[in-house]
Amino acid sequence: MKGNVIKYQRDNIDTDVIIPGQYLKIHDYAELATHAMEGLDPNFHSKVKEGDFILSGKNFGCGSSREHAPIALSHSGIKAVLALSFARIFYRNAVDGAFLLPIEIDENAYQNISEGDEIDIDISSNEIKNITKNQTYQMKPFSEIIGKIIEAGGLFKYKPD
Amino acid sequence: MGKTLFEKIWDAHVVVEKENNPSLIYIDRHLVHEVTSPQAFDGLRMNNRHVRRPDLTIATMDHNVPTNDRSLPILDQTSAIQIQTLEKNCKDFGIKLFDINSPNQGIVHVIGPQLGITLPGSTIVCGDSHTSTHGAFGALAFGIGTSDVEHVLASQTIWLEKPKSFQIRVEGKRKNPQAVTAKDIVLSIIKKIGTSGGTGTVVEYSGEGITDLSMEQRMTVCNMSIEAGARAGLISPDDKTFDYLRNRQYTPKNYESLVQNWKENLKTDPDAEFDKTFTLHIDGIAPQVSWGTNPGMTCDISEVVPTPEDYSKGDHNQKKAAEKALEYMDLKPGTPITEIKIDRVFIGSCTNARLEDLIEASKAIKGRKVAKNVRAMVVPGSQMVKKQAEEMGIDKIFTDANFEWREAGCSMCLGMNPDILSPGERCASTSNRNFEGRQGTGGRTHLVSPVMAATAALEGHFVDVRKLDLN
Repeated sequence: MKGNVIKYQRDNIDTDVIIPGQYLKIHDYAELATHAMEGLDPNFHSKVKEGDFILSGKNFGCGSSREHAPIALSHSGIKAVLALSFARIFYRNAVDGAFLLPIEIDENAYQNISEGDEIDIDISSNEIKNITKNQTYQMKPFSEIIGKIIEAGGLFKYKPD
Repeated sequence: MGKTLFEKIWDAHVVVEKENNPSLIYIDRHLVHEVTSPQAFDGLRMNNRHVRRPDLTIATMDHNVPTNDRSLPILDQTSAIQIQTLEKNCKDFGIKLFDINSPNQGIVHVIGPQLGITLPGSTIVCGDSHTSTHGAFGALAFGIGTSDVEHVLASQTIWLEKPKSFQIRVEGKRKNPQAVTAKDIVLSIIKKIGTSGGTGTVVEYSGEGITDLSMEQRMTVCNMSIEAGARAGLISPDDKTFDYLRNRQYTPKNYESLVQNWKENLKTDPDAEFDKTFTLHIDGIAPQVSWGTNPGMTCDISEVVPTPEDYSKGDHNQKKAAEKALEYMDLKPGTPITEIKIDRVFIGSCTNARLEDLIEASKAIKGRKVAKNVRAMVVPGSQMVKKQAEEMGIDKIFTDANFEWREAGCSMCLGMNPDILSPGERCASTSNRNFEGRQGTGGRTHLVSPVMAATAALEGHFVDVRKLDLN
């Protein structure tokens, strides 16, 4: 899975900046997406491209249980969020609805991947290749069950053994 | 080895358990509101599913309801549609709804306990992160997203990886319990352990500092567990818990026999082990005021706004976060907290809008008026809280002082109904999140207790309420 990186070098990116409260009334996902990240980066909508990734620090997605947060990112074109750690409800929502991949990375990847870098994420080998910089990083593997839900395409498509 | 309270509730609700896999957990109560449920009901319809246990599912509207005159139509069309959609969904699927005109309407986490729907030892979910509030009654209660809402509607169960257990002991006694409140205890905890200090855990709060609290104060503590990243927070039930729930509208008929069972079973065994522990001593703690843009960025009322260096203690990312927070909040390091001037005051939210909160806040007023240039509003957590307060004359104390007295709802906690801050406005708020834009684009939130908020309204700036007579 290849794409370019939009980097927010900060911790605690919360659900209120990912999708501010006033937009939770919007039922149309394409319209919802036009307000993604608006609380932090009003230019996000104009710069994001289909297939992009977000890179950020610790505790990404903290706060509200609003599934609108991964939905707004997903419908903006974001295929994965790479972060040092995730708040649990965001992580779960992202996987349940197969909206995007929440990928836990280490400090090495966080520091070395820059805004705009093209990277290639391979979840079968748990490797992230930085094509721009010709570097390779490790991602934290998904737990067995999360991997199966992702493979199935979300919670409702997943059939337990 | 003994078991923790959390493990006992967990074990009693496991439907399916396999090694190295999540467990299927039975849900006793599912609370539903208008914002995180529409897509879940759409999903049921698309797949021809029904609600498995409508009798265990309870709905109300709280997030986007206006808090002004209820006889007026809702002007915001998208809110009106979301509210009508919940009405239709509840009717179609046979779910009990406390609608906008119901005397039981209110913030979902206020009405659950008030109606006796929240019970010790039960599992409770809701599409809202502050579901942790119900843990004050010894329930395992946590917030879920809309996909999980659909799963619970359809199956009354949820797949869950077993969280770790985290014991937070609160030791000692507050010297001035009217000035130093449950809000100050929980903000002190988050300040110490950080906004991700509880990630992946269920917190059990214990110790004298917790058992001393009333039920409504315990709810304030459990409510903010999520602000430390925890899935849930819970407190072992005691006689205060059982007394609070006795004779409520939906208290079960066999209540006394349930209480006997709860008394025997709903406590952590003396030899149980937690995955993690933390102790807070509260003898000397002060009223807390948040200065930044997450609930961990909090300090004592007697302190000054910290420098990014002091706050971050050498952590580069934390330093940058503090710089950004100070810029957003328009605060200079070294400014005494008591010199921060405010424009707005919000007394409300699922954290601090119960009857006791309003009573405590009203004690600060003593015939005085809201400062010029400050707009202050009091939004009771439920219509029942509003009615009780009015019967006691609490509303009159507030309105005489020029506070607005409004109808129940989430109001200015989350900026998705007409109650919002304007860009640049600074608010003393009894709510739970001070994230950028949380109370409206560009709005600046300082999290405080109800008595701190009421006093700030009168003075136009923060005041050390320990110096006041609050009797």
